Amino acid sequence: MSDTHSTPHADHSDEAQKHHAFVNLALVLAAITGIELVLVYLPIHEAVVFSSLIALSLFKFFSVIAWFMHLIYDKMLLTLAFGTGLAIASGTVVALMFIMDRSFVDFEAISAF
Amino acid sequence: MSDAAPAHNDSHHKLMVDNKKLFMWLFLGSDCMFFGTMISTHLIYRKLYPESFDPTSLFSLELTSFSTFILLMSSALMAFAVSAMHKGNMKSFRRNTLGVIFFGLIFLACQVYEFTEFTHAGLTLKSGTFGSTFYMLTGTHGVHVAIGVFWLICMYFYSHTGKMDPHESAVDVEVAGLYWHFVDIVWIIIFTVIYLIEFIQ
Repeated sequence: MSDTHSTPHADHSDEAQKHHAFVNLALVLAAITGIELVLVYLPIHEAVVFSSLIALSLFKFFSVIAWFMHLIYDKMLLTLAFGTGLAIASGTVVALMFIMDRSFVDFEAISAF
Repeated sequence: MSDAAPAHNDSHHKLMVDNKKLFMWLFLGSDCMFFGTMISTHLIYRKLYPESFDPTSLFSLELTSFSTFILLMSSALMAFAVSAMHKGNMKSFRRNTLGVIFFGLIFLACQVYEFTEFTHAGLTLKSGTFGSTFYMLTGTHGVHVAIGVFWLICMYFYSHTGKMDPHESAVDVEVAGLYWHFVDIVWIIIFTVIYLIEFIQ
């Protein structure tokens, strides 16, 4: 957005819109944090709570990246630069969680060591 | 030839990215991997030794939620500070930066309080796998917050020297902002996977 050629009036309008988006997002993020806190105490099936917490957390995560960190307004190259690291990190977490399962780990060998 | 030149310039312009911003994004990508491995380590040890420690009696979700709220609001203020610098509004930049510093210090104070409470309750770095991985992960995040606060304090005082030109320093403030927001998004994940999930019944 900062690379587009526009009139001062349009720039001012853009900035006002961004400001508005920041305020709204801050309120939404605060509300989601409150919802997450309540959610863990509700008598709902744990799979539902777990999925909801992960979904809300990811929403907060990507909202901050998109708006507060300006990634939706910036060049695609920056998304690729960060996205590559993020993809490798996420892949590592998921792979390790599958590999290091209780059924695959030799606890006797660990104890002997 | 004359047609090719503008096309070349246009494609060059489309690829133009500020070096400082590009390197900060690359650094943040690598920091994702760093935190990813630490989060994995904590979760794996939790999965392998679930009976080793029950943190629900120790964790205070109210305090951690408050810390999360504080960090989220500091992120909003940081976004305002960056926006103010782009507009050349130094007064607004200083006010918002001061707010971010204040909120960052509150977050650190909460973490110090939490660590002190946990240590008194017997959870230390040496008390087991849970203590080791928990303190390593949250402590490393705390160090990141402290570095961010220090960076912003330096920037705040630098803005009073009169050497800070809004047009030239806008990218520097934006880069500091990216770092601060990253600290926030890492905490969003830590809050969910380290704290909240433990309380699921």
